[in-house]
Amino acid sequence: MKLNRNVDIVILFFIMLFASTRPSFAYIDPGSGSVIITTVLGVIAAAGYTMRKYFYRIRRFFGGRSREDTEDKS
Amino acid sequence: MFESVGGSFRDPSGRVYTVEQPDGRTRVLRVLDAPAFATHTSLMDQEFFRRGMEDGRIVRTSMPSPDLPETQEARDLGWAGIVEHETVPVISYPYEWTFSMLKDAALLQLDLFEAAMEAGWTLKDATPYNIQFVGSRPVFIDTASYVPRVSREPWLAYRQFVSMFLYPLMLKAYRGIPFHGPMRASLDGLSATEMNRYFSARDNIRPGVLSHVVFPAKVEASIASREKDRAEAKKRSSSHSDAMVIGLVQSMKRLVNRLASPIQHTEWSQYETAHSYEKDDDEAKRRFVEKCAEDSGAATAWDLGCNTGTYSHLCARHVEHVVSVDGDHDAVERLYLREKEEKGSQIVPLFMDLANMSPNHGFAGRERTSLEERAPPGLVVCLALIHHLRISANIPCDRFLDWLAERRCKVVIEFVDRTDEMVVKLLTNKKEQYADYTMETFVRQVSERFVVLDRITLKDGDREVFYLAPKP
Repeated sequence: MKLNRNVDIVILFFIMLFASTRPSFAYIDPGSGSVIITTVLGVIAAAGYTMRKYFYRIRRFFGGRSREDTEDKS
Repeated sequence: MFESVGGSFRDPSGRVYTVEQPDGRTRVLRVLDAPAFATHTSLMDQEFFRRGMEDGRIVRTSMPSPDLPETQEARDLGWAGIVEHETVPVISYPYEWTFSMLKDAALLQLDLFEAAMEAGWTLKDATPYNIQFVGSRPVFIDTASYVPRVSREPWLAYRQFVSMFLYPLMLKAYRGIPFHGPMRASLDGLSATEMNRYFSARDNIRPGVLSHVVFPAKVEASIASREKDRAEAKKRSSSHSDAMVIGLVQSMKRLVNRLASPIQHTEWSQYETAHSYEKDDDEAKRRFVEKCAEDSGAATAWDLGCNTGTYSHLCARHVEHVVSVDGDHDAVERLYLREKEEKGSQIVPLFMDLANMSPNHGFAGRERTSLEERAPPGLVVCLALIHHLRISANIPCDRFLDWLAERRCKVVIEFVDRTDEMVVKLLTNKKEQYADYTMETFVRQVSERFVVLDRITLKDGDREVFYLAPKP
């Protein structure tokens, strides 16, 4: 939950960056923003993904449950 | 003779055709252009793809011999080759699915995408129309969506995924608004801008709203304002590591998994314990319906007004595929949640307003078709339904019987007379008293359109169930 809040704060920053609302127009590809959106969301998700990967490795090293065990129960 | 499937034209690299066989079966063939055929040939050797077919999550697919007449016919039409898919008995659409059906389809899409990513492949689309329910099990059918992943490519179908899976699910889970209307009205799903308008500032704290709704809506609006009129469109590209794509897919999976829309206590979702029959009448009605299902020899049956599927199960003992339709979401949801645990389920539960069933629509009115065209029945079962159609939905009985007669199939229909306590309840606060709604009129209307094969009287004459055949 705390991680989610931190992600929300980062996202809020990007929202401020793009804050301006106008109607859309026929010659603009509605998907043209997807690259920006997936880049921002992807960078945040990659940070979480990498952190989780190392966390599971460290935990396994100290004899904890494997990643698969944890993900099955999530 | 090839017949093009109406909704398969959007991907220019191929098309799906059906071929009727002399024995009445339908074969499903996908024709592909040269690059797509080469890709598909290589896909067939991939371990993740074979595993997906084996565990039933991907439609079983084979490559017919190049010497077959169908291959030659495809070449004559300008295609490079064909692949054959196992036939999906009943085609259904996301605006007919319950919340959990769409959620399970979303999770299947994400699982398959992640498995493909790990093998260096990707799915170029993310639409629920690429997933079908075989019984109550979701199966991915659009094998031409699989392409090798170009190095450092982003998740290209992200926008389509959120528009067609995530937003409809969020709408129901966070706002309690059924997604079926918006999904039926727009075959491309909901846009971020549109979705953002459903939410108030308070909803921003809900998981995924800021990231996948508010932020994309702002980006889209910002681009629209900068690139409007004669301003040149900017070329945008970005390099995405595997961790960025897999991380995003996994976080999407966690989000979708958390979305929930619990079943409310509705009248119909409690039907099994709340119906108005005494035990003897209930038994007699079950026996009668099962006997009719057995006699009908139908391959496909519709159970209209199925509630939680009591009679659908009886029909499924004798009919190969049962399409169970009801206008109460939670009753159908209950049926789906139970059926999905059954191995080899033959029941496809669908949520539809029976007074306004899915029409032919989309491009040229052929892209998505009505249930009548998609899954023509050999038997239609309408139990304890007619009084709702006549009194609540204002559909005259003769109009409904005309529509049933057009199906040219066997029918089991129950008439609930004016004296029955359920009809009395429906009429209590109605100014219009539907004088035409009587057993006598109904029997006359039925005999004008059908041959009555059998009938049974229940509840001391308050109800009558008819087994009908079309007039020759």
